[in-house]
Amino acid sequence: MKKRLTINKIILALSTLSALIGMGFLFWILGTLMYKGLATMHWDIFTKDLVNGGIRNLLVGQFVMAIIATVIAVPLGVMAGIYLREYNSDGKISFVIRNLSDIMMSAPSIVIGVFVYALYVDRVGHFGGWGGIIALAIMMLPIIVSTTDNMLSLVPKELREAGIALGGSKHKIILQIVLKAAKIGLTTGILLSFARIVGETAPLLFTSSNSQFFTLNLNDQFPSLTVSIYNLATYPDQASKDLAWAASFVLTVVVLVINLGGRYLTRNRKK
Amino acid sequence: MSNNKDIMRAEDFSFTYPGAPAPTLKSINLPIEKNKITALIGPSGCGKSTLLRAFNRIHDLYPGLKYDGKLLLQKQDGTMENILELKSESDLVRLRQRVGMIFQKPTPFPMSIYENVAYGLKLSGVKSKSELEGRVEEALKGAAIWDEVKDRMKDSAMGMSGGQQQRLCIARAVALKPDVLLFDEPTSALDPISTGAIEELVAELKSEVSIAIVTHNMQQASRLSDYTAFMYLGDLIEYNKTKKIFMNPDEKLTEDYITGRFG
Repeated sequence: MKKRLTINKIILALSTLSALIGMGFLFWILGTLMYKGLATMHWDIFTKDLVNGGIRNLLVGQFVMAIIATVIAVPLGVMAGIYLREYNSDGKISFVIRNLSDIMMSAPSIVIGVFVYALYVDRVGHFGGWGGIIALAIMMLPIIVSTTDNMLSLVPKELREAGIALGGSKHKIILQIVLKAAKIGLTTGILLSFARIVGETAPLLFTSSNSQFFTLNLNDQFPSLTVSIYNLATYPDQASKDLAWAASFVLTVVVLVINLGGRYLTRNRKK
Repeated sequence: MSNNKDIMRAEDFSFTYPGAPAPTLKSINLPIEKNKITALIGPSGCGKSTLLRAFNRIHDLYPGLKYDGKLLLQKQDGTMENILELKSESDLVRLRQRVGMIFQKPTPFPMSIYENVAYGLKLSGVKSKSELEGRVEEALKGAAIWDEVKDRMKDSAMGMSGGQQQRLCIARAVALKPDVLLFDEPTSALDPISTGAIEELVAELKSEVSIAIVTHNMQQASRLSDYTAFMYLGDLIEYNKTKKIFMNPDEKLTEDYITGRFG
């Protein structure tokens, strides 16, 4: 009895310690970011482009690529997820696709960057926004597929049966009822995967590359916040380093807000 | 046995689940009489729900199953049609508009109360807004839930109580003016008061539709139904007037089940 209690205490102490260490590092990162980021933060950085010492074009560029990637990846991914869950749940093809999708999800993002470089950038002969978009969409796709697959599996089969029993055809019930029932989970998944790709650097490094100037031409080198942070942080001058801190802080806040938004939705799913 | 009294009838009907070595239902012969309530009783696993779910071919959602024999449904002109011969999705949709189903767990759709009832009507091709509104109201009145919901038609149906949700599901089915309604243990997830309301409703519906109801509750079967079918291990053991089944069954097995000696 006594021995068991002692073991219990030791385990409790160890896991508390581990949690504290993990949290410690997290807050250390956030604290440093806030300290350094806020110190160099200035309203000007939101109104000027990189060439003039601001991040306006970078923010716009990063979001434009991430949003277009989302617009491409979400319909594709949701349709694939519907196929997996509603049309061929136990089939061999679905088994293969599910596994491939899981593998893709953990593929190093730099590999996806190289892939798009070889397949697209190298062929068209120049860096460009489209390259970045394709890479980000490829990163996002497996996340959306598996989110859709999982969220649809949570919809009770009785709901589908009820729809069918009311004289609905299968595709109508899926589109009009099952998707609706899974809406909150799907939205959360899309938000979280957006937060994931909006902060990616590696897939953009040699696809969209980077630009100092404001542009919306997706066939040109495209401004990117993350790639800029990577570049700025390695420059020798203090002004570049300061801007890198400020940009990192902004990016972290954006990702954090989207994440919290997603979690908030999940928590209120019952309503 | 062939006459106009039967709205539906199973003739030597057998059913095998995908991958199962033996049929779950073996050569069932059972009539569902017009404007009567037929109760299906029997211990768990006897196949009563399986039989009920065959009557509107909801099983077809899942691949690999096997039907044998005939399931007949009376057409408008009085002749019988074998619903096992329906192949296209549009034929099945039409069958399900004529033969509706209420499930054990209430299954409101994630939309407003109004939309829940209007949904099936829209599926069946009703487009005019005024007709929709009229028929939704009529259905909700028919399901004795109109007074409770008329002021909150735009609220989500998910916020209703279980009993209300179940009556909404009945309203949804009634709105299509089906010939047959299949109830699969409609009250087993509900409290006694909601159960009473549903039973009352089912009894009233009898004047408009023919009803088949699966129930585990002996009292419910004896209170509600005109005819009772007792099933055991995939066989139909006995079918007769409810009074006869409960007072003086022909089969020893039926008597044992009804008196609670097993099951």
